[in-house]
Amino acid sequence: MQRTLTAMALALASAAATTASAEDKIVVEFAYPYSHLFDVTYEAILPKFYAAHPNIEIRMRATYESYEDGTNTILREAVAGTLPDVTMQGLNRQAILVEKGIAKSLEPFIAAEADFAKDGYHKAMLDLGTFDSEVHGLPFSISLPVGYYNMEVMAKAGYDATNLPTTWAEVIEACGKLREAGVDNPMFWGWNITGNWFLQALMWSQDKPTVMGTDFTLDEPEGLTALNTMKDIFTGCEMQNLEWKAALASFSAGDLGMMYWSTSAVGAVERAMGDFTLVTSEYPGLTADGPMGLPAGGNSAMLVSTSEDPEELAAAWAWLKFITSGEGAADVARTTGYMPPNQAANEIILADFYDANPAKATAVRQLPLLREWQAYPGDNGLAATQVIYDGIEGIVTGEFEDMTELQEELTEEVQELLE
Amino acid sequence: MQSRAHLWFIGPALFLMAVILLIPILIAGTLSFTDYSLGNSGAEFVGFENYERIFTRTTYEKMFGATFRYVFVVVPLTVGLGLGAALLIHSLGRIGDLYKTIYFLPVMAALIAMAIVWEFAFHPTIGVINATLERGCGTFLESWAWYAKGCERTFPLWLTDRDYAIWTVSFIGVWQGFGFNMVLYLAGLTSIPRQLYDAAEMDGATSGWDRFRLVTWPLLGPTTVFVVTISFIRSFQVFDMVEAFYPQGGGPSKSVYVMMFAIYEKGIQQNLMGIGAAITVVFLGFVMVLTLIQRRLVERRTHYV
Amino acid sequence: MAEVTYAGAPEGAKAQGFRFNTRAAVVHAVLIVGALIVLLPFYTMLSLSLKSPSEIMQQTGGFMGAQEPFRDDFCVKLGGTEEECMVNPIVYNYTTAFEKAPLVRYLLNGLIVTISIFVIQVIVALPCAYALAKLRFWGREAVFSLVLFCLLIPVHAIALPLYIMLAQVGLTNTYAALIIPWTISVFGIFLMRQFFMTVPDDLIDAARMDGMSEYGIIWRVMLPTAIPALMAFGIFSIVAHWNDYFWPRIVITGNRDLFTPPLGLREFKGDADGDNFGPMMATACIIVTPLIVAFLLAQRRFIEGITLSGMK
Repeated sequence: MQRTLTAMALALASAAATTASAEDKIVVEFAYPYSHLFDVTYEAILPKFYAAHPNIEIRMRATYESYEDGTNTILREAVAGTLPDVTMQGLNRQAILVEKGIAKSLEPFIAAEADFAKDGYHKAMLDLGTFDSEVHGLPFSISLPVGYYNMEVMAKAGYDATNLPTTWAEVIEACGKLREAGVDNPMFWGWNITGNWFLQALMWSQDKPTVMGTDFTLDEPEGLTALNTMKDIFTGCEMQNLEWKAALASFSAGDLGMMYWSTSAVGAVERAMGDFTLVTSEYPGLTADGPMGLPAGGNSAMLVSTSEDPEELAAAWAWLKFITSGEGAADVARTTGYMPPNQAANEIILADFYDANPAKATAVRQLPLLREWQAYPGDNGLAATQVIYDGIEGIVTGEFEDMTELQEELTEEVQELLE
Repeated sequence: MQSRAHLWFIGPALFLMAVILLIPILIAGTLSFTDYSLGNSGAEFVGFENYERIFTRTTYEKMFGATFRYVFVVVPLTVGLGLGAALLIHSLGRIGDLYKTIYFLPVMAALIAMAIVWEFAFHPTIGVINATLERGCGTFLESWAWYAKGCERTFPLWLTDRDYAIWTVSFIGVWQGFGFNMVLYLAGLTSIPRQLYDAAEMDGATSGWDRFRLVTWPLLGPTTVFVVTISFIRSFQVFDMVEAFYPQGGGPSKSVYVMMFAIYEKGIQQNLMGIGAAITVVFLGFVMVLTLIQRRLVERRTHYV
Repeated sequence: MAEVTYAGAPEGAKAQGFRFNTRAAVVHAVLIVGALIVLLPFYTMLSLSLKSPSEIMQQTGGFMGAQEPFRDDFCVKLGGTEEECMVNPIVYNYTTAFEKAPLVRYLLNGLIVTISIFVIQVIVALPCAYALAKLRFWGREAVFSLVLFCLLIPVHAIALPLYIMLAQVGLTNTYAALIIPWTISVFGIFLMRQFFMTVPDDLIDAARMDGMSEYGIIWRVMLPTAIPALMAFGIFSIVAHWNDYFWPRIVITGNRDLFTPPLGLREFKGDADGDNFGPMMATACIIVTPLIVAFLLAQRRFIEGITLSGMK
């Protein structure tokens, strides 16, 4: 109740303040996805930003309900001429906005910064938002795939924190042991995460990008390995085709022993889980050496302002830079399950934080594996994503038995879409 | 009585229909021959390529299958249950109001919220439906092979098993829609003059069935035409629920990939307006033909008052 | 006098057929089973709005949940101490619904939008329906066919062209954008036309003989007889636009102050990273309540309308 009153008082005060000083403040229009996840982050960042930049006002737009919604909204707004100044886009959705010329290059701003690298931006991170060798997006929150384990269930088959599976073969073996121990649903594997994220995870595990230029690489041997691995996991574990809400509920209820998912859900799982011990561990690999690379999930900040006014653009850049570096970036880790894509923030500011939150530290250990979450180029990129999604779903539902055949079909259909 | 009054009466409606409905449809019709994608500066003319795709790809085969399955389950059931509920409730007089309100609740609830609730209810292991079924394990029910199979591991994944999904979604469609028809039928029933029943009784129609056959059903004719037409259109246009359950892809193995969702997926999600528009045109063609057939069939047996 | 022929039979007219109690008991039994199935999701919705996140996800705790305080993570993240941040599930769910999403504002927007839509729809549709049902003029069949054709047009299919048209005149992110596309209800025209067909011509002829203008006939003769049908139309129109999620999210991309109630639900969406179900369900309960109240009130009027016209 106290908080309600305070919030109302603050809202009134800020409303009064904006009317009073709207004249002399530069307004930056800003939109982001998933208010339930990120509201709290921006609430934490804003006071710090206002303290550093008292002459800028950040005006929050309606939030996007998902990354897809975010991209579609920007495309519509581009036609209507009502674009915001800064938008947060899913990492694999940046390419569309660059291709269509909606997102602006950030190079001029970076060039004007005295020592940009010192702020903790480093190449692997910047690569995620680089197109045509120009930086267009600064990653804001990053997630990687990890393994979630219910240690009480795992103990039934004789597993503890020291011998958790490290390869997919071991995972399948664990499934068998768990089923023998009476666990009906030993595992869930997040194939249905948007943007074919887990297929790309298996491809990057073999250090193979899923698309090179306009070439869809699933037709190569690595592609067949990826498909076969999926089929082995699904059939070997007799995995149920769960929707993500059902999967998270099953895991929280203690039904599942293992769940392979994005690290970003750690917070949600911790909040909702029953009385068991949750351990997260590195994403298994195809070989004992572990994966050679993993796709980065999350979103990045893009400049889509249509303004020509250098002062307004500078203000937008100030906001963009603030949330992706230093204390701003550190708040991402403090308030969400994501990591800041910023070396300085992870290593210096957050060292204690990860000691206190070991479940969130797994992804940080995997940071050297960070690779791009690839978009399929061209107007048909999203349709290609869907074709692949449908194909993988067919493996789960048992519609496709022969992986060589599926490989051919998918390659043919996707390749046609990309050309 | 020939005046120009009718022009003023239909004028505004015609104008708005043209601007809000017909012009966008014309735009869609034009776009369906191009490869337009939002945010591109222009578009290329591609002829019938988009249409060709609709009729050759297996995805679209699934689309027609899912749409027709849904429509032909939901229309008869919502009309039948709506009429049945209306007759029962009408026979009760004032007490029936309570049932009327309850049955109308699903029509009023925001489907986006109800979808989440149904997802919880249909959860394969901890959802209320399968949890209830599980209680029957170990009883005589296990002699039913389907039930025994469920007890062994888990009962069906109602929403994500490709053999069940479309029927589960249809069930929810019926749940959501029959109250709507019930209210329309109730309105129809209350407008049947009581004297007609008395007259029928005097002519020897003594059983309840006779009265229904001779008085109620024929007099509900116009209501039925209306209800069936509306139900057809509403179930062809089913979208919200599919999007809420399966925002990606339209259900397990595309088994719930209804046309409306396909239009949305192509036109808005994937930003391929050309193909989305082509599905729209095909959709309109389909519903038009079906409505014409259905009107012929219904009109032959009933007549407008 | 003409009204007698079409006036509704009083409630319970057919009760003679069900005089035996056993029969009524069977009817009640059937209706109660149906009611239970219909109510199941509402029970779940209400129950979820009362429980804590862990009880929701694990589906434990019965109807009410244990009501044990749990830790509000967001409060902790914003620097609160553990004790400050312990919250009671019911209180948390409902205050969050009103606090994080300015739900009062959204409800008000919903009211403005749905009422405006309905009023304009009636003003446009009623004369048109009257003309189609009772006036003879050249092209009437064509206009009616056009209405039937428009009935088939799905809004989702024309959403983008409509959006672009609204954008051209700079109307996106306004109340107008929420209202204009719905000002024409072909469903309303069709429904009212069907209803007007059942109104006897004598009534209109009598009114004309009294020297009433055609406009007068619509608003002073047809409208009062059409109250039940109008009620039905009103319920459908208001329910549809109060709950509409699709269109508002297409046109309202800027100012959150223009959100309609269902858009409030999205504040709690996190998709694969975990939705916040408690407040979401609380919001859903709050959204549906005004509709239920309105329906209960309208239902009484609805019956009154019928009985009044029947007694004349």
